[in-house]
Amino acid sequence: MSRSSPPRRLTLRSLLLQAAVLVLVTAAVALLCSLVGVMHLRHSVWTLRLMRMAAAILVGAGLASSGTALQGLLRNPLAEPFILGISSGAGVGVLVGRVAFNMIGLGTPILAFIGAVVTCAVVYAIAQRGRRIDPYVLLLSGVIVNVFNGALIFVLLMVAAPNEKLNYLQWSMGEMPDWVWNRPGLLILCACFVAGGLLLLLLRGAALNTMGLGDDVAASSGVPVHWLRVEVFVVVGMMTAAAVCLAGPIGFVGLIIPHICRMLLGPDHRKLVLYSAAAGAIALMLADRLCQVGGKAIGVGEIPVGVVTALAGGPFFIYLLRRRFREVRR
Amino acid sequence: MTETAHIVEARDLLFGYDPKTPVLRGVSMAAAAGGFTCLLGPNGSGKTTLLRCLLGQIRPQQGAALLDGVPVGDYSPLDLARMVSYVPQFPTSTFAFTVREIILMGRYPHTGALGLAGRQDLDVADLAMRMTETADFAARTLEELSGGEAQRVMVARALAQQPSIMLLDEPTSHLDIRNQLLVYRLLQRVAKDWPMTVICVSHDLNVAARFADSLVLMRGGQILAAGAPADVIRKDLLEQTYDVDIELIRAGDSPVPFVWAK
Repeated sequence: MSRSSPPRRLTLRSLLLQAAVLVLVTAAVALLCSLVGVMHLRHSVWTLRLMRMAAAILVGAGLASSGTALQGLLRNPLAEPFILGISSGAGVGVLVGRVAFNMIGLGTPILAFIGAVVTCAVVYAIAQRGRRIDPYVLLLSGVIVNVFNGALIFVLLMVAAPNEKLNYLQWSMGEMPDWVWNRPGLLILCACFVAGGLLLLLLRGAALNTMGLGDDVAASSGVPVHWLRVEVFVVVGMMTAAAVCLAGPIGFVGLIIPHICRMLLGPDHRKLVLYSAAAGAIALMLADRLCQVGGKAIGVGEIPVGVVTALAGGPFFIYLLRRRFREVRR
Repeated sequence: MTETAHIVEARDLLFGYDPKTPVLRGVSMAAAAGGFTCLLGPNGSGKTTLLRCLLGQIRPQQGAALLDGVPVGDYSPLDLARMVSYVPQFPTSTFAFTVREIILMGRYPHTGALGLAGRQDLDVADLAMRMTETADFAARTLEELSGGEAQRVMVARALAQQPSIMLLDEPTSHLDIRNQLLVYRLLQRVAKDWPMTVICVSHDLNVAARFADSLVLMRGGQILAAGAPADVIRKDLLEQTYDVDIELIRAGDSPVPFVWAK
């Protein structure tokens, strides 16, 4: 897969320029999308329409750039927050807050963050052997932790008030929940999580690039490998927590978007982090509109976004598993 | 590009991945500044472990690995990377980076966090590519190269780091003779001209004896002999190290005899 274009040097100016263009394009798509489809009656006000698009942007950007970072860090093309169980860990955090403390608000992303980071730590601890990570064990531990978190979520749902159960069922499928709409503070906090995370990932892009040459080479180039893992897991925890608070544990956005970006742009993580964030945001806004308009058209009401991403992502995962896993084992 | 070479020293290293079975049992050695040293010994003798101690990737339970008299662990990762570079046994690149991009990654400790390469970084990378004869496939990916070409790319990446010390872990164990010679000649040359302190783990006694200034012979986590090739390539020493019958043969105009394992 050699790219025949002449070597172009990546400069700070071109990077900032690309970032600015991506922000503008994302904003334009957000405006266009907010015109499409009939928002729920309560959402007819413009600010609410834009809030919904803002939520979609945060969810898509957070999950897609998290996937990019995890794939680079772990040298595993199948890594992403949902598959590794980080999303479901954040989901447990959200529900613990709701059920145990009867709380939805600024504490929710914090609890989701704790759930996500604890899950990261558990998955990492299982997959780690002598400072190295086995790619098979990593995926398997993700599967197991996912089942475990799923059971916890189920138990918490059973304890929840009966009239809220349907709400949470829809949330767990990726429907943006009502609790976001009357809490701009929650949205702003989530935006801080995602923006801060993106900035740090951008600054770690070069380090993530060297990780592709193996832990030892990366370490000998001056990358503090262990510390980088901690950093990326914390950042992924933050962004996943924000995404899960806003739209439930949506799967596969973090898998598909980074791969498409890598195919189009090459493997440089400094660019991939930016482009996958923008592409994830746009993809999720489009999916959200599609779910609403499409659901109405076939007369089933609004389809949760997570259903669509899972339907598209499942086959894509299998395709990658068959095509790419060989390379990881080398 | 003329940095001064540095002295690499191991002092009484004791290390075991599992404390009950030490891999290094009191290893002391020194590699002269600007010298080309080869670490020899049978599989499991602790060569790679010694290398990893010198790289600061593992911490010895006793003793110390010193660079210019300062323990490796006292350097910050970036300071250490500006001083020491590393070439692995098997070149790998998970993602489809081009050869030029991989070599530019060697500039990581010299650029900011974003790793944006400036004019000077590109010049250094170009020089590294010329020295390793890798410029011809600068736009290809590692996967498209032969084993020898890929390994030369890894050496170029390590050179681009502009280190004064280079550590290599069996860099030529899977290369054909031509590529072996290419890599060893290059190492010999950079050790002398750069100047750079080169330490290389090797399995090929003859190639090592021909190109290195000094050899270190290890067995069972200890050093059996160290010194100039002519002092280390001795029948009794090698037989004791490798548990095989050895015959030494004079070949060509080489000052060091050729080792033939019977």
